[in-house]
Amino acid sequence: MTYAIAAYGITALTLVIYLGLLHRERNRLAAADR
Amino acid sequence: MHESEPALLSRLVRWRRPVGVALVLLTVLYAWAVGSAPIDSVQGVIQKILYVHPPLAYGAYLGFVLTAIGGALYLWRGREAWDQLAVAGAEVGVVFCTLMMVTGPIWAKGTWGHWWSWDPRLTLTLLLWFVYASYLLLRGFTEGAARTARFAAIYGILGTLLIPLNYFVIELFQGRAVHPDNLERGSLGSGMGWPFLLGNITLFAAFVYCVLLRWEVEMRRARIALRADALAAGPL
Repeated sequence: MTYAIAAYGITALTLVIYLGLLHRERNRLAAADR
Repeated sequence: MHESEPALLSRLVRWRRPVGVALVLLTVLYAWAVGSAPIDSVQGVIQKILYVHPPLAYGAYLGFVLTAIGGALYLWRGREAWDQLAVAGAEVGVVFCTLMMVTGPIWAKGTWGHWWSWDPRLTLTLLLWFVYASYLLLRGFTEGAARTARFAAIYGILGTLLIPLNYFVIELFQGRAVHPDNLERGSLGSGMGWPFLLGNITLFAAFVYCVLLRWEVEMRRARIALRADALAAGPL
């Protein structure tokens, strides 16, 4: 159980953090691009 | 910059939104499907890693293929947007490949008893990761010159030769590989097909969303750099 939770948890957390960073960078660039 | 670049940029934003909505809905369905999937009689709950590990591998392969396609189109057409797509594909591919190489050892520890084995599939996957992580380093350490983009395009295309080798290496080693065989029709137990399909669709949606967003970021960076260069050059 612990192994499965770790696998899904790490995947979900990494993708959420990656998407968050991408969105932050996209918004920063979009503001500078105006 | 290519004259149709602003149009492509607004299309990327338009395409990303419905994919984002679909991704949220699919994630809810996927979580429910994984939770209610039958428990494997041999491995137990750990077998549910099956619904995330192979879909991450397919995402990694797709990202690297996208790098090759973008690179080939850039060499053919010379349009910067294709080079920017290649960079986006490589980065998202490396993220998916990293997660594949994290979920795999977790599963291995629970079933084989050790985190890693120098099995042909695992070794080639690590090599694939190094090839595209090096691609990103190359792009990160050099300014966006056309020569670098051409070299990166050829490198990205050659790197994909590892993908079919990585996929079929288990069959080539005929029983000497530790990693299980590739999944085929009917190799999943009863009730495991739907969660597996949903896992693939959800992670594919996540892949598409990440690529569209990363491509947009790369295009905006290039636009801003171009404008800064024009300002620095001053009026003609």
